[in-house]
Amino acid sequence: MNTSSAVTLNKPAAAARRGRFSVAKTIVILFLSILVVTQVYPLLWLVLYSLKTNEEILSGSFFALPHAPQWSNYSAALEGNYFRYLLNSLFVTSVTMAAVILLSSLCAYAISRFRWRYGQGVMLLFLIGMMIPMQATLLPLMIIFKNMHVLNTHLSLILPYVAFSMPIAVFILSGFMKTIPHEIEESAVIDGASIWRIFRSIILPVSVPPVMTVCILTFINIWNEYILAATFISSEKLKTLPFGVNSFVSQYSVNYGAIGAFLVLGALPVILIYFLLSDKITEGMVAGAVKG
Amino acid sequence: MNVLKVSRWTIAAFVLPCLILYAGIVFVPILVSMYSGLLEWNGIGESRFIGFENFKNLFFHDPVFWPSVRRTLLFAVFSMAEIPIALLVAILLKRYIRRPNFLVSSYFLPVILSVVVVGQLWKTIYNPASMGGMLNQVLEAVGLGSWTHEWLTDPSVAMYSLYFVALWQYLGYHTLIQYTGILNVPEEIYEAARIDGADGFAADRYITFPNIIPIFKISIVLAFIGSLQAFDMVMVMTGGGPAHATDVISTHMYNMSFLSMKYGYGSSIAACLVVLCLAATFLINLIFNKLEKRFS
Amino acid sequence: MAKMSKWLSLAMAGALAFSLTACGGKADEGSASSGAGTGGDKAGTVKEKNVTITFQNIYPDPTDPKNKLMNKLVKQYESEHPNIKIELDSLNTDQQKLKLKTQAASKEVPDITVVNPAAQMQPFVEAKLLAPLDDMLDQNGLRGTFQDGLLDWYSFDGHTYAVPDGNNIGVVYYNKELFEKGGVQVPTTFEEMVDVVKTLKSKGIQPMAIGEKDTWTGSFLFMNMLLRTNNGPGFLKDVLDKKKTFEDPAFKEAVDAFQNLIQAGAFQEGVTSFDYNAGENLFKTGKAAMYFMGTWATGGIETSSVNGKVGVFKFPTINGKGNPDEFMLAPGSAFAISADSKHLDETKAFLNWFMLNFPKEAFEAKGAVGIGQKVDGDFKAAGYSDMAMEVLNLFKDVKGGDLAFDNTMNPGTAQAHLASIQNLFVQKKDSAEVAKEHQSAFEANNK
Repeated sequence: MNTSSAVTLNKPAAAARRGRFSVAKTIVILFLSILVVTQVYPLLWLVLYSLKTNEEILSGSFFALPHAPQWSNYSAALEGNYFRYLLNSLFVTSVTMAAVILLSSLCAYAISRFRWRYGQGVMLLFLIGMMIPMQATLLPLMIIFKNMHVLNTHLSLILPYVAFSMPIAVFILSGFMKTIPHEIEESAVIDGASIWRIFRSIILPVSVPPVMTVCILTFINIWNEYILAATFISSEKLKTLPFGVNSFVSQYSVNYGAIGAFLVLGALPVILIYFLLSDKITEGMVAGAVKG
Repeated sequence: MNVLKVSRWTIAAFVLPCLILYAGIVFVPILVSMYSGLLEWNGIGESRFIGFENFKNLFFHDPVFWPSVRRTLLFAVFSMAEIPIALLVAILLKRYIRRPNFLVSSYFLPVILSVVVVGQLWKTIYNPASMGGMLNQVLEAVGLGSWTHEWLTDPSVAMYSLYFVALWQYLGYHTLIQYTGILNVPEEIYEAARIDGADGFAADRYITFPNIIPIFKISIVLAFIGSLQAFDMVMVMTGGGPAHATDVISTHMYNMSFLSMKYGYGSSIAACLVVLCLAATFLINLIFNKLEKRFS
Repeated sequence: MAKMSKWLSLAMAGALAFSLTACGGKADEGSASSGAGTGGDKAGTVKEKNVTITFQNIYPDPTDPKNKLMNKLVKQYESEHPNIKIELDSLNTDQQKLKLKTQAASKEVPDITVVNPAAQMQPFVEAKLLAPLDDMLDQNGLRGTFQDGLLDWYSFDGHTYAVPDGNNIGVVYYNKELFEKGGVQVPTTFEEMVDVVKTLKSKGIQPMAIGEKDTWTGSFLFMNMLLRTNNGPGFLKDVLDKKKTFEDPAFKEAVDAFQNLIQAGAFQEGVTSFDYNAGENLFKTGKAAMYFMGTWATGGIETSSVNGKVGVFKFPTINGKGNPDEFMLAPGSAFAISADSKHLDETKAFLNWFMLNFPKEAFEAKGAVGIGQKVDGDFKAAGYSDMAMEVLNLFKDVKGGDLAFDNTMNPGTAQAHLASIQNLFVQKKDSAEVAKEHQSAFEANNK
């Protein structure tokens, strides 16, 4: 009753507001559209770039169309082992994301819900590592991996990618889990559910939003990562996409067009997936980050 | 208040896999790195323990170090200052656009693109007019010829040009985060406020803002991380030059460890970076704990 | 329940460990036969002669003739030696340097790697990471294929540790068409060169191009000027031997001359943000009239739009000092073999064969200008361009010269030098101050 009356009361006010603020609205929409142009243009630019010759690219005029589209850039990119690199990238990235989510949600759950002495201490440890750049550990990691005999395997990428993604994941997930009402668990405990069941069938499902956030953050951090990949992987058949991009840089020449083509091909699957899922991702992130 | 009482084994099973991996891959290397900071070592041959000699040189005799710290911190400040703008964009999106998901996704695109692309793109924008630089050409075309600069090579503006690229690239990132945060504020609160006469930006001041403080914290942390790790972009666009004018901590570290082959010295820079991270983490937590208390 | 969850937790932890090792295992399978550095020995014991050689190289671009050449030779060798597998790890130059340094720190140097001459490879030799290649050079007469004296740059204490793929000199390329348009002649002295720059500039022609983001480019030019003002080679060596300091008049004179060139407006705007390729491209698209570079640039210029309009000249004398027949010498990057290689003999045999076949293949691929080995063959008849012939003739005039700064001084000093020279492109400095900067960096890095 109350709500319905509130809605009817509001209607004329809202209409009036819309009319009165139309100038403001136009300005806002204009502003937001300009933003779209500035943020989406690079993609278009990249596509143009990938169809140009080196001379056209380096002479650097910003809006120029390619004189004649250089499809050979794309054949060069494909020749550069695109599909194998793509598969490797997808494999490394998906295993990393799965491991990050599993491990850090377990840990975050323990930190945010269990009653034990060292919870805050563990959290603190993760906070410390949150901002450390992966590259600062390049040399010690090399020595550790040598002794673990994992150099030149995908594991030598997955391990650091997972480990370095965990702090922020634990930070976000535990922040969220703190806000889940205790009543849910209490009733489950009374029903005799084990802690694992509670975690699997109650906590994980409600945590989908922050998990989406973690997925996106992890993905962004590792999809284009190159320094570790180039250092720990030597076999052609294990290399990932950023190798492809960098393989067109020789000592005294750079094949810019082919780099552009490779970047387009590398970004394409990501952008497709992203736009297909964009509703889900935004929805998913709702509530996800907010309670952090 | 944590309620669940569980056995030690359970706790171990939940925490240890994550913690062991983290400690082994992140913590041990950092500690090794900090120890290397006490060595005189080219990274290849014999090393020699020299105590705090590297740190002494770093703090008192290195003309590049302190400016690079300043630039890194400024980088962080600018990145954080961007978050309110992202919030504004998010609020506008929510208020004026019926189906904003497409726009949010579009804004997010530059984040997905590799730094190589972003760097190349902005170089063609920043280049001198004679080299086809768009920005300078536009400035000249509209009669602001005196505003033109050598954006990437004039030591007094080059760093700001780099900051701007980072801001541009990450605007969509923060907008996405803020936007999802706003969506999460229950609509009923706005309705109630409207009845009380709070509408538009007043509602944002009293409802949106307090409700998304936690989100703000995540954004701030991410912005800080991003600016400490701004290595790739600087390398692609200026390589730290001209003459160290755009060096940040991470590029200076790289330069010392691998180009100058003073790995010990580079590690002492890494140690400083770690300390800086620690200080920042504590500061951010402190501020937000206060803020949260004030608003709840 | 407590008991139950205990078992469950163990099971879960186990599952996690398993899933992690599982994906590790999968990747391992892929590399078991390959990782010569890691698990290659295991594979080697199965059948004694099955060998995988890891060949780290800097020819990653599949559209680059050198990459094609390398692939061709490797495939041929593999088909002739079915028990040998060559695993190529192709990286770009910067990444290869970083990777090798990281690998060296953990003594994981690949079977074949790439190093740079003289001072740059010295730390690797001193750390005993590289195998001496004297026996390999004596096999099949490989030593004799290299140009005289070239291997000295890769030798320490009488042993040679690497074999170079190139040997170049610094020359000035110029665009004849633009010179004609500007009404200028090829300069015979540095003073004339500055005048040429000014004349071209006044006619709206970009006089010179350089990609100074990469810093070594400017240093390479500067060192050539120092080679003149010092009236001959060996300045840096004298500094190293404490016979001279950077505050020597010859050094200051070179700095002043260098600044004269910059202040005359020789280089394009925004020069320090141009990387090597963007700088070279200005010349290759006919937008700049002169370009000082190593002769390795010849191939790229030949395939660009200015082909046929380009000539070369020797860097002229400065204030009447120096000999134009002394050049900046650029012995190229070189292949070295890990001292810890598990298949030292097989690796040497392969590299020996590879280098013996290198000149012929390079010659056929029109990439033989500036390689480090002697080439039998008529360049003219093989279709090399006039400019290439001109460059080849300059090689015959070489009467010694200097190596680049970073091949002579240790990396710490070199980095300070590179930044100091780069700075001259954006601000004018007193030459005494530049000299002092160098001297203090030298002293700080040579305690």
